[in-house]
Amino acid sequence: MKSREQEYRELFMAEALEYYDAMSRHLSELERNPQDIAALNELFRLMHNLKANARAMGFVDMGEVAHKMETLFGQIRSQERAFTGALVTLTFRAVDVLGTMIRAVGSGQDSGEAKGLLDNLDLLIKGEEPVETQAAPTEEEVDSDAARKLELSDLVYIPVKKLDNLLNLVGELVIDRDRILTLAEELGHSALQATARHLFRISDDLQYSVMDVRLVGAGVLLNKFPRVVRDVAATENKQVELTLAGQDVQIDRNVLQLITDALLHIVRNAVSHGLEEPAARQAAGKPAAGQLSISALTERDDVLLQVQDDGRGIDTEAVRRKAVRKGLLSAEAAAQLDEQGVWALLFEPGFSMAEQITDISGRGVGLDVVKLAIDSLGGQLRVNSELGRGTTFTLVLPTSIAVKGALLIELEERAYAVPLLHTDTVLALANDQIFAVGGLLMTRVQDENVPIVPLRQLLYAEGDEQLPRATRADLPTDGGLHQVLIVSYNNRRLGLLIDRFLRQQNIVVKSLSKPLDTIDLFGALRYWATGSCAWCWTCRPLLVCSWPNVLDIGYFLPFFVLPC
Amino acid sequence: MNKRILIVDDSFYMRTMLKNMLTDAGYDVVGEAANGQQALEMAVATTPDLITLDVILPDNTGLDVLKGIRQQQPDAKVVMCSAVGQETIVNEAIENGALAYIVKPFSEERVLEIVGSALQGDSSLA
Repeated sequence: MKSREQEYRELFMAEALEYYDAMSRHLSELERNPQDIAALNELFRLMHNLKANARAMGFVDMGEVAHKMETLFGQIRSQERAFTGALVTLTFRAVDVLGTMIRAVGSGQDSGEAKGLLDNLDLLIKGEEPVETQAAPTEEEVDSDAARKLELSDLVYIPVKKLDNLLNLVGELVIDRDRILTLAEELGHSALQATARHLFRISDDLQYSVMDVRLVGAGVLLNKFPRVVRDVAATENKQVELTLAGQDVQIDRNVLQLITDALLHIVRNAVSHGLEEPAARQAAGKPAAGQLSISALTERDDVLLQVQDDGRGIDTEAVRRKAVRKGLLSAEAAAQLDEQGVWALLFEPGFSMAEQITDISGRGVGLDVVKLAIDSLGGQLRVNSELGRGTTFTLVLPTSIAVKGALLIELEERAYAVPLLHTDTVLALANDQIFAVGGLLMTRVQDENVPIVPLRQLLYAEGDEQLPRATRADLPTDGGLHQVLIVSYNNRRLGLLIDRFLRQQNIVVKSLSKPLDTIDLFGALRYWATGSCAWCWTCRPLLVCSWPNVLDIGYFLPFFVLPC
Repeated sequence: MNKRILIVDDSFYMRTMLKNMLTDAGYDVVGEAANGQQALEMAVATTPDLITLDVILPDNTGLDVLKGIRQQQPDAKVVMCSAVGQETIVNEAIENGALAYIVKPFSEERVLEIVGSALQGDSSLA
């Protein structure tokens, strides 16, 4: 992880080496033609820049040499002196010394050559002859002189678009790689298998290298917030003390881009609705200034962005009342929800359409949109709140958007991928572990009743069609165990009855391109549970391209996300 | 709405440092120009609230750029950046409507102070 100092040093060096190369070139031009004004102007400008940059970095000697050289070139430009004699020799020498100094920045060694040179430059500026103090260069120095003329800068700057393209190509490569690996296994050709395995390893390395290139510090985004918070606080007459942390945490640049609005929304909400007015805070025994922290941290392969306030918190009772009023669920169902369940209601589309009401911190406004943005990345949005003590929103984001861990399952000889993020448990249930309640199949998972739906019913249902009332007679009757995948979304769990589990695999997810992107393959699937509780599931079909048999089967597989 | 700033400097290192300082302070850096031509184009395209302008540029002197920008946008707020030794140019720049100047090497506090007061319309020279 690079500190800013390191970053500056690298930038400085890369640019200074470019300057050095250009100075050497222009100096030769000027030697050939002392009237070359363009070369002279460039030398002056380059020395000027090197001086300013070196001083900013605290490289005093380098700054001094460049400063005196700038003065000399200024004198030549104003025709106070001609570029001849000792001046020529010494300027070449000075540029070489500058080159050595610039490279020494990287190695941390002091070149120690500056003193005699600076004295001589002073003499020249005063119009006197320099003193010959320099010994003839040793053979080693001559060698390194020759070698370094060929040095190029170690840094290149790449537009994000090119990186996107590269990542896309790597995605394609990974698909073919998996295909070749499968073919090699099928053919049983040992040399081909060995080559395929090698291909697997290097393309894996390639994939991670490309992903690594796209990483930036979270600070790129976080550092924009002091100003945002200040402005919102001023508008709302709030006092806010903002703390930022984890600016160095590495995350894909595009992930950061995609969640910018979501984070902005959460932070604005925290200031305008989460934190109380100074008077109210003092009445509640809190300091007048609200504490707000935005932090990034790494958790395994994920990056967590947390927005934490010490404001009034979320009134779960008010959320329950409002959800019932909005018809999202019955009063009985609402009463049964635990805190997590209640907070999850905030992300329901129906909930957020509501007018902004402050008795629940106005948290409902647009949070479903925030959640949607995070879902689209395969991330999660969590909320935790304590009434009177504050609220924490946690965005769980993938470090990179390219690859997702997924569980491959099979239904009617087709494969589907479910992101690991949404899979909870896999179960093999006997008939007597599944029971029917009020037209719904259920099972017990960790002391919780979880509804079970045959996946085929979900996939083949039309639009808003209501799922038929289920009985145990719907279960396959071959006498074997029922394969159930428990998926979770927004704190709710659902069991999917499938044919079998295939394996866990990293998949490359590609969005549908036009015109397919407008087709909602599964429509909005809705099933009415017991009449008192309506749950909405929608599935967004995406393509899973890395699964080896995709091309064999001849059609694309739906990428199954519940629900998004 | 954050104040929008255009940085004009021929050194990438200098631009990066300025950009980091300004971005950290909550300004939006809407563009970075490395020469006079780019500076004039970007000043028109982005209509920034403030421009930081290096006095020595490869194709034009900063002074010509300043005149060009002020011709297009008489109200443009421009702060000159210069290393010591360029006092003549700086003085001429001030006469041509630059609000202030920042002397390189600069400290973060100084940059933010000068930019802040220039944005409020104060000339730090007044």
